[in-house]
Amino acid sequence: MRAPAAQSTSLFHFVERKWLYFLLSGLFILPGAVFIVLGGLKPGIEFRGGTLLDARFEPVPATEGVRDVMASLGHGGAIVQRAEGGRLLIRTSEMQPAEIVAVEKAFNERFPGALREAPSSSVVSPSFSAELLTNAVRAVVFASVLIVLLIAFAFRSFGWSAFRYGAAAIVALLHDALVVLGTFAILGYFLNVEVDSLFVTAVLTIIGFSVHDTIVVFDRIRENMRLNAGEPLNPVINFSLMQTLARSIITSLTVLLTLLALYLFGGYSVRNFALALIVGIIAGTYSSIFNAAQVISLWQELDDAWRGRRKARRAAA
Amino acid sequence: MSGIGPWLIALVALVAIWVDIPKHQIDLPFGCPGICLRIGERYFFQEIKTHLGLDLQGGTQLVLRLKTEELPAGVDTPLPTLNDQARGVIDRRINALGVSEPVIQSIGDDKILLELPGVADLQQAQEIATRQAFLEFKVPDEANPGQYQSMEPPLTGQNLKPTFVTFQGSGSTAPVVNFEFSSPDDQRWVDLSKQYVGKQTQILLDGREISSPTIREVFASGRGVIEGGFTTQSAKELSLLLNSGALPVPLEIVQSTRVEPTLGADSVQRSVVAGVVGILLVAIFMIGYYRLPGALAIVALAYYAILTYAAFRLIPVTLTLAGIAGFILSIGMAVDANVLTFERLKEELRTGKSLRAAVEEGRRRAFPSIWYSNLATILSAAILFYFGTGTVKGFALTLGIGVAISFFTAVLVTQLLLHLAIEVPALRRRALYGVEERAAAPVRPAPQAV
Repeated sequence: MRAPAAQSTSLFHFVERKWLYFLLSGLFILPGAVFIVLGGLKPGIEFRGGTLLDARFEPVPATEGVRDVMASLGHGGAIVQRAEGGRLLIRTSEMQPAEIVAVEKAFNERFPGALREAPSSSVVSPSFSAELLTNAVRAVVFASVLIVLLIAFAFRSFGWSAFRYGAAAIVALLHDALVVLGTFAILGYFLNVEVDSLFVTAVLTIIGFSVHDTIVVFDRIRENMRLNAGEPLNPVINFSLMQTLARSIITSLTVLLTLLALYLFGGYSVRNFALALIVGIIAGTYSSIFNAAQVISLWQELDDAWRGRRKARRAAA
Repeated sequence: MSGIGPWLIALVALVAIWVDIPKHQIDLPFGCPGICLRIGERYFFQEIKTHLGLDLQGGTQLVLRLKTEELPAGVDTPLPTLNDQARGVIDRRINALGVSEPVIQSIGDDKILLELPGVADLQQAQEIATRQAFLEFKVPDEANPGQYQSMEPPLTGQNLKPTFVTFQGSGSTAPVVNFEFSSPDDQRWVDLSKQYVGKQTQILLDGREISSPTIREVFASGRGVIEGGFTTQSAKELSLLLNSGALPVPLEIVQSTRVEPTLGADSVQRSVVAGVVGILLVAIFMIGYYRLPGALAIVALAYYAILTYAAFRLIPVTLTLAGIAGFILSIGMAVDANVLTFERLKEELRTGKSLRAAVEEGRRRAFPSIWYSNLATILSAAILFYFGTGTVKGFALTLGIGVAISFFTAVLVTQLLLHLAIEVPALRRRALYGVEERAAAPVRPAPQAV
């Protein structure tokens, strides 16, 4: 069973078709990238500063009426959205506690008896939001660097080519992050879906998960290279991917099942978070099967080609 | 995987279940609702309960910033000290109000996180957190009649003994706040009365006049009263404010969150449903796909859930909405180590190995992947915890703890169950492990496990 070269003809052509898989990834990332450039990623109040009010009504008044009330209190730019359970989400600029109390009073006057309880509120001052954003970016960068070091350490037995594995894992990780960012740029552009600290958390979790998946595949490649010393790289990679295929898909499936439960039943405050994770984990599974090891293979091919040319030149000289 | 191991794992499970039970009906020798230890002179007390975050139980949360730019010139107290002092003042104010389980933490040097569970009044929370309570006594300005000026140095409320409210006037109906200066300001107070007897002075709180009493006689001690046309309520509030001390630096609110209890309760209910559905879906899938090992993995998963919840109650971890999401996510991830092991097990079985050898080989070969992949997740959780605030921290903590515990349960508990299962003759059919029966290995005579 451990004779990759003999097996490879009957296997799924993971490595041979790498350009097709790279192209597919590109087709997914490109539209998202366009919308990221178009400013589709909409920062939520945490990263922009402002107020989010969450008020439960029964009966629920028309959003226009609520907007009028907000305008009469000097918040003409308020965005009013319906949420489940008779809740209205109102987004506007930073408010002082006294203003929030005034809003509550105005609602009670305009829609007598409809407001079920004092609105829940969340206010972030713009100065603090800048700090939160910096922290979020710093966390993502720092996490990525540490994870690369971890991979380099895990594959230190390969010597310098351990960094190839590290680099390939980063390619996979960037792929996954870009797919999620792109998806939310599209959602933000068309549906005003906002990006908050939970979203950043989701991206970081996806990065961790992506590496998790990639490590499992690379670990198999390492083991098979040891068992089949002297074999060419591509068949070993193919064989390793075949062996880890079931595990990659099943693990993602179990995680997706829990996320699906979270998405369907967890309520609107965690729905976008669950969605980001679902998109990211699907992307992560794809990249660990169809991208990460293929990068290693491509690198080796380029390396071989370069060496071959040098040898040919030396022979000619 | 023999001898004491299984018993230890069973013992841990029992302790975890005990911790998980909401109310301990059995009155163990501890005699207190939690863990109580006495080692020599030191007492250790830890109440066991589920701590719900503000977003789940309702209440008000504020992030406050020390406005160092408004510090009077010449004050060069280091920022951490100012932060400590400010937290002390807020702590005393909250204690006097009787808010249960408040949280007052510094975030870095220049910010304070304040959580007031059950406090729905945002304005009240703002008062508690940002009223400076800076009391000053001013004397008549000789150069500008009708104006007041600060003394040199200013006479403030810094050296006041605890104040209290009494009633004065006809029928003792007018509430007044009684104060008494301690040394050295008591002498200055007496001197002030000597110098300005018969004249009007001014008492200010945070720069606003609250009273302008006329000094009728020379005082004999550092005592005095503030009569500011108070109601009983406002007199008590002032007394409390003065007793808690003045904030050393003005504070501003940079973030405020108020969650209604019903929204929180709704979130808890939804999270529980999501968690239960998630576990059920995973269980159905695992048993359907892996048969016997899948069922064992579900037992290990239940063990994992019990242990993790116990850890949350013991540490304690404050559960937030994001934290529960992290926990639910970690359930999905906890299965991964089992999947890795079982896939290996199948492979080894297909090469014709005996069950015992295959279980052992599966564990050995799957381990590096499990180790490094879990490490990667714990690493990102640690970074999230370090850089994150509030929501993100809660998520990182539960995800990190979850993954760490799942590593333990997947490697130890699942293995133990597998080893136990393959010793039961009825459970040795290869079909139970998802492998074709025909490849069955001959039963080896050697009694030792490989």
